[in-house]
Amino acid sequence: MTLLKVEDLKVHFPIRGGFFRTVVDHVRAVDGVSFELEEGETYGLVGESGSGKSTTGKAIVKLNKVTSGKILFEGQDIANYSSRQIKPYRRDIQMIFQDPYSSLNPKKRVLDIIAEPLRNFERHSPGEEKKIIQDYLDKVGLSPDSIYKYPHEFSGGQRQRIGIARSLTLKPKLIIADEPVSALDVSVQAQVLNFLQDLQEEFKLTYLFVGHDLGVIRHMCDRMGVMYRGRLVEEGTSKEIYNNPQHIYTKRLIAAIPDLEPSVREEKAIARQKVSEEYEQSYSKYFDEKGRAYDLKPISTTHRVALP
Amino acid sequence: MFLYKYYTNINENELIETFFTKLLKSSQKLYKLKLNYQKIIYFIEKVVIKLGGTSMEKPIIQIENLTTSFRIKDHYHAAVDNVSFSVNENEIVAVVGESGCGKSALALSIMQLHSKDRTKMEGAINFKGKNLLPLNEAQLNKVRGKEMGMIFQEPLTALNPLMMVGKQIEENLDYHTKLSKEQKKTRTLELLSQVGIPYPELTYKQYPHELSGGMRQRVMISIAIACNPDLIIADEPTTALDVTIQAQILDLLKSIQQKTQMGIILITHDLSVVAEVADKIVVMYAGQVVETGTVREILKNPLHPYTKSLLHSIPSAITDKSRLHVIEGIVPSIAKMDRVGCRFKERISWIPEEAHEHSPELHEVETGHWVRCTCYQHFHFQDEKGEMITHDIT
Repeated sequence: MTLLKVEDLKVHFPIRGGFFRTVVDHVRAVDGVSFELEEGETYGLVGESGSGKSTTGKAIVKLNKVTSGKILFEGQDIANYSSRQIKPYRRDIQMIFQDPYSSLNPKKRVLDIIAEPLRNFERHSPGEEKKIIQDYLDKVGLSPDSIYKYPHEFSGGQRQRIGIARSLTLKPKLIIADEPVSALDVSVQAQVLNFLQDLQEEFKLTYLFVGHDLGVIRHMCDRMGVMYRGRLVEEGTSKEIYNNPQHIYTKRLIAAIPDLEPSVREEKAIARQKVSEEYEQSYSKYFDEKGRAYDLKPISTTHRVALP
Repeated sequence: MFLYKYYTNINENELIETFFTKLLKSSQKLYKLKLNYQKIIYFIEKVVIKLGGTSMEKPIIQIENLTTSFRIKDHYHAAVDNVSFSVNENEIVAVVGESGCGKSALALSIMQLHSKDRTKMEGAINFKGKNLLPLNEAQLNKVRGKEMGMIFQEPLTALNPLMMVGKQIEENLDYHTKLSKEQKKTRTLELLSQVGIPYPELTYKQYPHELSGGMRQRVMISIAIACNPDLIIADEPTTALDVTIQAQILDLLKSIQQKTQMGIILITHDLSVVAEVADKIVVMYAGQVVETGTVREILKNPLHPYTKSLLHSIPSAITDKSRLHVIEGIVPSIAKMDRVGCRFKERISWIPEEAHEHSPELHEVETGHWVRCTCYQHFHFQDEKGEMITHDIT
């Protein structure tokens, strides 16, 4: 069943200037993006910084204003809902933020941090609330006594788990994870990723995974979309994207992944050089005169590429 | 490339030059050909460098038993504990480990950027045959920035937001060279184009916030190489960058290094970056070196449990969906660390106590491959069966 369907989503930010600070032009951060998320799957959005992947994620939680397009969540178009109308959906769509060091309020206790979304939607006595929070802390592998501690008393991985516990309290259906592990060490990263997989099974969650680390995305996602300059340039299952990249940008991205095998690094460097040359030469073939990627065209049932 | 050698190693060049004038005078034939000295010297140097790069090993920096302790409530705790390694000319040595393992503390110790009244440093840092530890601030300033450059992790915080990029590069030249204003500018523009900035003239006048992350990191690199240093310490140079930009920056570092024959200490937690560029690896855990060797050796045949665990926890693009290995527990804080016995003991609790040495030392298992503690012989992952690895320990 389709849980989320994004249709031709556009998020444009105005550039003001000139006389009376009128709108001169727009930054087309997201410029016509469409994809679908099945229930229980993990969809990855990859791209370099500035490609609009985070903006897409934020637009779905309505942290950004949507310029045009549809966001169908369980069949309802929530793109133009007012903040009052959107409120019930806020329960179902939650977000995990990138940097666990700056996304937790340093002045609040863990109890208050995790209970905040709960307090917005449900009424509980302090005793009940404490019990619920301790349950969730237990689930994310933190000691239930830590509710009276402050964020600075935890390590990076633990903090990210507090962030995850906060997003779980309302039993959401969709979680948007905006680079949840990019600020963490490999060992801690492994911990958080495993843990996100466990939670997915337990709560039947659907993830929209935004990131730039292709190793992580490949590990986590069933399907993925590659974004470049606010447009999707390729979409398909992780296998298709990694083994058979079609768009020149995807090829370049895949070629840039560092390999753990030092004996092939010279070959890889040469291959990378080749792809980068090909990228320079055939850029006009893959993008129109305005430098905009073409619309996605299916080349197999699951694999779609932006070709003219 | 050759010009660098001229600026820095005048003594060497003088020697070679006198040698060649004698040689030229003795052979009239060559004299008649009227060959340019410089051209001949250039070729000879090239040959010497080529030979030197492969057969002769010339250490630029030798760190011997370096211990850096920080004062916390009247007690000194060692964050870098008895670390020794060396970097040769034309070599990239990677220092890897989780955060809190003392990698950055080590980098700052080599540059001696820790505040003096809170830190105690012991051991020796022999940089080009001279120990840097006893030097005072003024003497150090002559070395830092000139012979030793540093690339910091976060270019946006390391660059001055109120200063034009070009001026920031010139600052280094101001301090260490006696170039005129015009010369400085030409050198700066040269540096900017060397690090692959497309419009050096334009970038010269820009401020850091106007540049993208990759461009800022390129500016950082150009500051570090401004005075043709012999050693560069790169503290997580690509952590804040995207994969494509990361690949570009790594390729850039590598090409600069090949041109100038300098040594690089690369501090990172990303083992795939290490595999991509480094020649030697130093794995640090809780302030100590736990394993060291060549990249090929360590990535193919990792021995210490910590190295193995780190390698297992990477979601590699090659392996398919499966569970990642998680290292139990966290890196101990320096104040609470148990300094006797194997420091990795708590995180591999399923390995019996007898497997660890009482006071773990580095053992050479193969030439150039050193491992701390004997626990690696008995180590197995929790879900695997134990199998004894035997090596002749010397």
